[in-house]
Amino acid sequence: MQTTTPNEVLIQIEHISKIYTMGDEKVFALRDISLTLHRNEYVAIMGPSGSGKSTLMNMLGCLDTPTSGEYWLNGQDVSKMDDAELAEVRNKQIGFVFQTFNLLARASTLKNVELPLVYGGIKGEARKERAERALQDVGLGDRMGHKPNELSGGQRQRVAIARALVTKPSIILADEPTGNLDSKTGVEIMRLFEEIWKQGNTVILVTHEDDIARHARRIIRVRDGLVESDLVNPNPVTLLD
Amino acid sequence: MIASEYIESFSIAFAALRQNKLRAVLTTLGIVIGIAVVTLMGWALNSLDAAFDATIDILGNDMLYVDKWSWAGGNNWRLMESRKNITIEQAEELIERLKTPQVAVPMGSLWGRSIIYNDLKANGFTVTGVRATYTQTPAGNVDEGRFFSEIEDRYSENVVVVGYGVKKVFFPNSDPIGKTIKINGMQFTIIGVIAKRGTALMDFVDNQVFIPLNSFFGLYGKSIRSISIAVKAGSPELLDDVRSEVVGTMRIVRNLPPGKDEDFSINESQMFHEQVAEIRFYIWAIGIFLTAMSFIVGMIGIMNVMFVSVTERTKEIGIRKAIGAKRLSILMQFLVEAATLCVAGAIVAILLCIVAAAGIYFAFKEQAPFLTPYIPVPILIIAIVVSVVVGILAGLFPALRAARMNPVDALRYE
Ligand SMILES: Nc1ncnc2c1ncn2[C@@H]1O[C@H](COP(=O)(O)OP(=O)(O)O)[C@@H](O)[C@H]1O
Ligand SMILES: [Mg+2]
Repeated sequence: MQTTTPNEVLIQIEHISKIYTMGDEKVFALRDISLTLHRNEYVAIMGPSGSGKSTLMNMLGCLDTPTSGEYWLNGQDVSKMDDAELAEVRNKQIGFVFQTFNLLARASTLKNVELPLVYGGIKGEARKERAERALQDVGLGDRMGHKPNELSGGQRQRVAIARALVTKPSIILADEPTGNLDSKTGVEIMRLFEEIWKQGNTVILVTHEDDIARHARRIIRVRDGLVESDLVNPNPVTLLD
Repeated sequence: MIASEYIESFSIAFAALRQNKLRAVLTTLGIVIGIAVVTLMGWALNSLDAAFDATIDILGNDMLYVDKWSWAGGNNWRLMESRKNITIEQAEELIERLKTPQVAVPMGSLWGRSIIYNDLKANGFTVTGVRATYTQTPAGNVDEGRFFSEIEDRYSENVVVVGYGVKKVFFPNSDPIGKTIKINGMQFTIIGVIAKRGTALMDFVDNQVFIPLNSFFGLYGKSIRSISIAVKAGSPELLDDVRSEVVGTMRIVRNLPPGKDEDFSINESQMFHEQVAEIRFYIWAIGIFLTAMSFIVGMIGIMNVMFVSVTERTKEIGIRKAIGAKRLSILMQFLVEAATLCVAGAIVAILLCIVAAAGIYFAFKEQAPFLTPYIPVPILIIAIVVSVVVGILAGLFPALRAARMNPVDALRYE
C-alpha cells in the first residue's frame, strides 16, 4: 500500500479569491482559500453544485487567474505569469480531464492525443510514438484511427486521459470525470486514475458523488467558495488488487 | 517548434475548409475576381513594357533624329508645317560641323510606296534614301548580302537593301539577293536583306527599303521631302552632350538668331515614353479601381466567414488553450486558414487568367498587338503574394478574437 507520508510540496495557494462581476452583482466563487498539496497525492474536491469546485480546479490548472491571492506551483509563482507562460505550464505540468471529454471531434484518437505534444514542440515520429504509447496505456491501442464519435463514452474519457498523460505532467486534474458515464464505466475510469496515482502521479479530482470521492486518499469539501473540511480519507476504497 | 506548429496550422486549415466547401467557394469569389484583375493588369502592363523596350531597341537608345516634324507634337502641327524644309545642303553642313557623335546620316523618306516584282505588286512600303554610313545605325543590321557602299551612292547605282517584309511578301521561298524589283518605275537590284526587327508596336520598320540617297534624289528630285538626320551618339551616356551640340550647330546652319525658337525638332526614342505612360495610366486606373472594389468585397467575405469559423470553434479554441496552445499558436492557426482560403482563390483566378490571356490575345490581336499570349511567372508570383497578404489582413481581426479568448469561457461555450 502507498504510504500517506507527504512528499514535497507541489501546490501552494494562499488566500485565493475569485469574484465574478455580472453587471452590478458580484459572485464570490472562491473566498480566501488556502491549500497545500503534495506530490503524489490523490485528492478529491467535493461539494454541492455551484460551490466553486470547478473554479478552484481551473485556478489550480492555470486556466483561470484569481482575483487576489498567490499560487505557487512547483516553486514557481504562477499568479505573476503572463499568457504565454501559463500556456506553457498548462502544456508541460497539467493534464486536464473534463466531464464532457472535450476531444476534437474532427481529429482521430491519435491526433487528439498528439495535440499537447504539438504545442509542446515535439515533432514527427517521436510525437506519434509517445501518443501511441499513451493510448496503449489506457487500453486503446486498437482505436488509434477512430474518431471520437465512433467511440463509447468510457473510451472517449480514456482518450482524454491519454491526452492528459502524454506530456508526463506533474498533476492530473479531473473535473467530474465520471459525470457523463454510467456507473460501471465510471468504476473503470476510477480504476485507471488509481493506477495512474500508483505510478507516482498526483491526481486531483472534482466530484459531488461520495462513491467517487471515497477512492481518494484525501477529501477536501468546499461550500460557498470556502473550504469546509480538509481530511485524510480514513478508509479509502481501492479498485486494484 | 514554430515550423511544426505551422505545418499543423496548415492541416487544421485544410480540414476546416474541407468541412465547409460551399461556404469557402462563395466567400473566395471576391478574392478570385480581385486576383484575376491584378493578374490581367500585370499581364497587360508587362506586355506593353516588353513591346516598348523592343521599340526603343529599334530606334536605338543612343540615337536622335533631327527633323522638321516632331514625333510627339500632334497639337503643334500647323506650327511645324510652317517650318522650312531641311535641305540636303543644310543636313550635310550639320554633319560636317558635328564632332561628338559617332555618325550622322542624312535621310529622305517617302511612305506608302508600291513595289513591283515580276507580276506581283504590293503597297505600303517606305522608300528611304540614305548614305552608306547608315549601316552603322541599328537599322543597318544586314542579315543576308550587304549594305551599299559610298561608291554606289556617289554614282547613284540602282541597288536596294530591303526590309524583312519585302522578303516575306515577294520571296517567301527563294533568295532575294540579285533579284530586281521596280520602285517608282525604275529597276533596283536587291543586294541585302535587313534582319527582322519589327515589333508589335512598330511593325512598319520591316516594310522599309533603303536605296542610296543620290538614287533617291534621282527618282524623286532633291526637294520632294524635308531631309532628316539620324545621329548616333555612340552610347546613351553621350546623348545629352550630343543633343546640345546638334541643337547649337543646327541653329547656326539654319541661321537662327539667339532668342528665336528652333525651327526643327530633335526626336528621340524616349519620346514614346509619354505615349506609353498614358496607356499605362489608364490600365492602372481601371485596374486599381476594380481590384480595390473586389478586394474590399472579398476581404469582407473572408473576414465574415472567419468570424463564423471562430465562433463555431470556440469550444475547440478552449480545448487547445487548455492543453497548452499559446495565443500566438491560435492566432496563426486562423491566419493560416484565412490565407489558405485566399491562396486557393488565387490559384483558381490564375488558372482562369491563363486561359483568358490566351483568349484575349487571339481575339484582340489587331486592336492590341502588343499583348503576349502568356502571363509571365513573376506576375503569377505577385498574385500569390498579394492573396496571402489579403488573407492575413482579412483574417487578422477574427484570428485576434480567437487568440484573446479566455480559455474557461471558451470551454464553457456550447
Ligand atoms: N464565468 C462565470 N461568470 C459568472 N459566474 C460564474 C462564472 N463561473 C462560475 N460562476 C459562478 O461561480 C460559482 C461557482 O461555480 P463553479 O465553480 O462552476 O461551481 P461547481 O463547479 O462547484 O458547480 C457559481 O455560483 C457560478 O454561478
Ligand atoms: Mg463544476
